[in-house]
Amino acid sequence: MRKVKHLVFKSAAGACAALACGVLAMIALAIAWRGLPALSWQFFTEQIRLVGAAGGIFYNLIGTFILIGTALLVSAPMAVGLALGHGVYLRGHRHQDKLTLLLYLLNGVPSILFGLFGLIVFVKFLGLGKTWLAGGILLGMLILPTVTVALVERMTSLPARYIEAAAGLGLTQSQIIWSVIFPQSLGGLFTGSLLGLARAAGETAPIMFTATIFAGATFPTAIKESPVLSLPYHIFVLAQDSFDPSVGAKLWGTALTLLGLVFLLSLLALPLRLKIHEEAHHG
Amino acid sequence: MVESMDPPKSASVATQNQAAIQPVLETRALGVRADGRELLRGINLSIAPRQVFGIIGPSGAGKSTLLKCLNRLVELTPGLRVSGDVRFHEQSIYASNVDVDALRARIGMLFQQPVVFPKSILQNVIFGTRHLGRVPRKEWAAVAERALGEAALWDEVKDRLHESALRLSVGQQQRLCLARTLAVDPEVILMDEPTSALDPKSTESIEALIFQLKQKRAVILVTHNLGQARRVTDSLACIVVRDGAGQVVECGPSQEVFRRRDGPNETVEDFGFCSSTQRR
Repeated sequence: MRKVKHLVFKSAAGACAALACGVLAMIALAIAWRGLPALSWQFFTEQIRLVGAAGGIFYNLIGTFILIGTALLVSAPMAVGLALGHGVYLRGHRHQDKLTLLLYLLNGVPSILFGLFGLIVFVKFLGLGKTWLAGGILLGMLILPTVTVALVERMTSLPARYIEAAAGLGLTQSQIIWSVIFPQSLGGLFTGSLLGLARAAGETAPIMFTATIFAGATFPTAIKESPVLSLPYHIFVLAQDSFDPSVGAKLWGTALTLLGLVFLLSLLALPLRLKIHEEAHHG
Repeated sequence: MVESMDPPKSASVATQNQAAIQPVLETRALGVRADGRELLRGINLSIAPRQVFGIIGPSGAGKSTLLKCLNRLVELTPGLRVSGDVRFHEQSIYASNVDVDALRARIGMLFQQPVVFPKSILQNVIFGTRHLGRVPRKEWAAVAERALGEAALWDEVKDRLHESALRLSVGQQQRLCLARTLAVDPEVILMDEPTSALDPKSTESIEALIFQLKQKRAVILVTHNLGQARRVTDSLACIVVRDGAGQVVECGPSQEVFRRRDGPNETVEDFGFCSSTQRR
């Protein structure tokens, strides 16, 4: 009887795993199948022409890199501050749980609401207009919980004996933070940031009202009123127009590029994670 | 700095005349509670300078906690409450005006497991020194050499100071940790079963080092190993759990403690006065 139960559960779990992998594989294959023919050197180096029916996605790539780069610069220092507050200053304090809750709430905010918030606050109220900066800040806020949680997890997994050893030598708390806790948690910041950026690269909603346009932008030249092109918004617009076969090819090419970028960022995070696990076991 | 700490000629008789010598460290009715549970009760110990003070007792009797009370490292563990007092050179270390970090630099600690930072050997040795800021940067190398020499590690590592400290053997790592503590030049060194993770040869070298250390400093050694207590300690306190809390049941010069309670076995658990302990 137990053997049968075991077998049933095992096959059910296996089926679920296979289904999940299958869906992922199907998406990747479907996009690759249609997108691969569109890829060429020109596709990456030319700018958009004929309303997306011709040309390439050079400035869309540049725009997406600018947006996620800004998101990284915005989220990393805030994540460090939050994680130190959470893991060090609020350690064992009753507000620690509240901060955790807050982070999960922030993580649960639908991305379209970030977009609306940005439209109201940055674009209108602060008068920035549609600009890369507004989008970058919003994406930074969007990925803040991801980065912070990764950093907090790394900090909590730091064995207490390191802190005790440093304190036993007479180091002050801030010296311990900067010479022990922070350097040994840096891996968490890297993995969290890469995973966060992988997510930010694909988000459309936060940037569509605030930072990105479909055509006509190159490198940003100012802080205000300086929108950029981007990969996800390009897909969003082309998808509404995809009955035209030449547009369709560009659409799938862009989708494949975005998928590749996201996979790349996630894969970069993987070896870092494994290295950290190794260190944790070693130490 | 080192020269000024040279012991006076009477150092060797320090243990015989304990009463006449000012204790360097003293606990008065020291107690520790954790969430209503009493861990230690009424600990009164007096530690003379330039001696090795041993603390023995079964696991779970609170030896490590007691040790951590002596440099307030106990405060890093949330939920522990300390009562009573610890006096260092007659001054309470729990007074509100005490600079805890400065105190911990004067009362160093060596842990059961060597805790080396994932940095080079040299970086590890000067880890405390560089942050305390008392020694100018150009003297760090000299400090490192002196400390590594004192920990009997200099000859083994002098050609690879910039290699990762994680590549040293566990025994070498423990001596590196000792060197790191010595580089800060503490007056008292707390050792929490420093040899329990080491092989016999490394244990021997640490024990030899303890002999050297007490020429200048007081060493408080928590140990499981009666043989070690017999070999290296001058005074000895035995802590066991009585009435639900760790208490001192025996204390005095080591030879007397051993003469009173001598037995053929070499483990604390079999030692006469520890047999009545509550074991977990």
